[in-house]
Amino acid sequence: MPEPLKISRRTVLAAAPAAAALSMTGCGVLANQTAKRPRIAALVTEVRRLSHGEVILDRFLEGFGWESGHHHPQVDLVSLYVDQFPEGDLSRERAARFPQLKIYPSVAEALTCGGEKLAVDGVMIIGEHGKYPVNEKGQTLYPRYEFFQQTVDVFSKNGRVVPVFNDKHLSWNWELCAKMALTARCMGIPLMAGSSLPVTWRIPSVEMPDEAEVEEAMAIGNGNPDSYDFHALETIQCFVERRKDGETGVVRLEALRGDVVWKALAAGSWSAGGWDPTLFEACLCRSHTLTPAREGFNHVYPTPEDMARIVKDPVAYRFEYADRLKATMLLLNGLVGDITFAARIKGQSEPLSTLMYLGGSNDTQPFNFDALVWNIEQFFLTRKVPYPLERTLLTSGLVAAGIESLHRKGGWIDTPHLEISYLATRHSTFRRT
Amino acid sequence: MADAAKAPRKRLAIITTVWRYLSHAQHMGDRFLVGYPWNGRWHRPEMDVVSLYVDQKPEGDQSQARADEFKFKVYPTIAETLRCGTDRLAVDGVLIIGEHGDYPINEKGQILYPRYEFFKQCVDVFDKEGRGVPVFNDKHLSYSFDKASQMVAARKRLGFPMLAGSSLPVTWRLPSVEVPLDSTIEEALMVGVGGSDPMDFHALEAMQCMLERRRNGETGVKAVQLLQGPAVWQAGKDGRWSRRLLEAALARSTSMSGNATKDGRPQDLTHSGELEQLVKDPAAYLIEYNDGLRATLLMINGAVSDYTFACRVRGHSQILSTQFLLPVVPNVTYSTCLMNKVEEMIASGKAPYPVERTQLVSGILDLCLESKVRANQRLDTPQLNVQYRAPKASQFGGAPA
Repeated sequence: MPEPLKISRRTVLAAAPAAAALSMTGCGVLANQTAKRPRIAALVTEVRRLSHGEVILDRFLEGFGWESGHHHPQVDLVSLYVDQFPEGDLSRERAARFPQLKIYPSVAEALTCGGEKLAVDGVMIIGEHGKYPVNEKGQTLYPRYEFFQQTVDVFSKNGRVVPVFNDKHLSWNWELCAKMALTARCMGIPLMAGSSLPVTWRIPSVEMPDEAEVEEAMAIGNGNPDSYDFHALETIQCFVERRKDGETGVVRLEALRGDVVWKALAAGSWSAGGWDPTLFEACLCRSHTLTPAREGFNHVYPTPEDMARIVKDPVAYRFEYADRLKATMLLLNGLVGDITFAARIKGQSEPLSTLMYLGGSNDTQPFNFDALVWNIEQFFLTRKVPYPLERTLLTSGLVAAGIESLHRKGGWIDTPHLEISYLATRHSTFRRT
Repeated sequence: MADAAKAPRKRLAIITTVWRYLSHAQHMGDRFLVGYPWNGRWHRPEMDVVSLYVDQKPEGDQSQARADEFKFKVYPTIAETLRCGTDRLAVDGVLIIGEHGDYPINEKGQILYPRYEFFKQCVDVFDKEGRGVPVFNDKHLSYSFDKASQMVAARKRLGFPMLAGSSLPVTWRLPSVEVPLDSTIEEALMVGVGGSDPMDFHALEAMQCMLERRRNGETGVKAVQLLQGPAVWQAGKDGRWSRRLLEAALARSTSMSGNATKDGRPQDLTHSGELEQLVKDPAAYLIEYNDGLRATLLMINGAVSDYTFACRVRGHSQILSTQFLLPVVPNVTYSTCLMNKVEEMIASGKAPYPVERTQLVSGILDLCLESKVRANQRLDTPQLNVQYRAPKASQFGGAPA
């Protein structure tokens, strides 16, 4: 069983009104369990080709390749709330082609299927993509918290809850993340969240060994802060949470951006302000998309000068866990187009390293979502979260802390609110079959 | 380790058709010049390219630039390349990379790459020397099964290690699965794409590296037939290949085509009816083995862009299926998997898997293309009586130890 959630006093206070409201509505009453196929509602920011909304919804509607067949999930997607209908919207076409699926004008109506009472057995919040305001720190204010809160309102009115899946981080704001987690805990809402990275294929297909004493960990990825940092952080977390004595949470973090990243690379060790160079090399050597540093060569190892030339806007988050584990997340846009992981483990001469495989290119199916949808389906069928929510609570907090440090132009931020302890599932949950 | 460190570095000759950006010679040869990623390290082979023969120097030729930078010499003949300008064999290993370049195409659609001719000239040097050195031959041994067999015979006569074939047998698989050694395979199907005869060879060899692990080992092939057009779908309806195995193979594909390209939706090509519309010119390579196993390669351009496999193994309730992963350009990291095997052979003097695999596949392809030009007839193939045993250990990237 996971350890109790450790949340700071500040967080508890922020979440108090929600908790108080719940105590009056008799939260935590489980839905009646029936043998019929679960009915699912999805609350989506937008549904365009290859948006998260499209790739997740379509896997429920069309099925997907799984093991040796085309798998059709054993749940029915029956209702949608779509926040934005931009050019290229596919939600209306899907609703027309799948008659069981209806689009409703509000979150509450999607959950009640237009009636008075909660009429679904599971809810998916897919708040990624779409046009939303960007705050002064560069965060896109996706309304995941708002969708969740409106869902909770329906649960409260009905006196019962159903499982909720939240795509990616819980919210852009730590207080809102903590409130979501606390509300779920208080009301007994099974809440699953996170990235597809922890469940996708790995090349090679490796797992953190049991009882590993991890000394330092790293992920190198592509993309930008407030989006792909989350994927790379979930990559680190899904491995290191399996270490000896379990997760202890993170006590401090610093973000680096620009030339200081190359200074950290040159430092040559964590204690000198950088990271273990063998982990950095391992990550680049697991990538399948290392930009050739020399014309006419298809695959060469870049020098520090090459990297400084190729990567226009390098970003690093360095952070320390309560049990002294050190970790670095690097976004080296331009140098790599994939996300790799490496860790130094006490007693092992070579680092553990792998690629989190997301597909070949833009011409291939984003089949990392196959594994995510499989896990969401199992979640709705069993009402049991496949992996602890605490993982995504922690990584959501790391994103917020990283963005805050970037906003302050670097510097350490103490993160006592992220001293979140939990234990990983005993079994591996990534795709191997 | 101490002894290995003291041993002189091995010397390699590369014999190739062309060396330009993204040709096989470039991305394979460069692995020995600049190193390559292996097991989480940038690995630099303990051997040196010392000589190069390049048959054609088209626009974009990099051979002389590489020779200048990496301090080796381009020689005008293969014999001189192997002797490094002296009168004795002066290398410890030879890489024959006869892929790409401008060569004639015969009536069967085969590009007449001079791999046999390159190899023959190497053997002439070996004969004069009274010994051979390890040889790697990229892709099929020759477009001609007869020539391929002569190459294998010369190897046996002189007793040098030889490795050949495609990178597909050694690349990563999704999932990372192997046919259990000595299992009974009831039926097999491979899905591939691309032109003939470069890409069908890759697909056939990928299938062969799975099937050769079956009970009693490889027994050779007794008949082949290549079907085209609507006859391919009809053969499926007639049970000559399995639609269920096609579904299993396609479940491993990550391609997008048709409606998926248009609006992103995942595809169920086996049941949606789209497959027959998307594939304008299907081909089925039907292979009957001497021990009764039947296997099929479906080339379905237009529907997929990857290489997948499925088979039924007796006693297993689940179909075994996987994708042979070809990571993207420009890194094409599948060639690291193949060059690591070449390096292993040259360092150890032992080929990690038998060249008879590639001999048989060269023959299957040659005779399938013979069937193609003989009105798609079924051809008896007594000459494909090639028998061998697969290595016990799996050889592919990331294979479980």
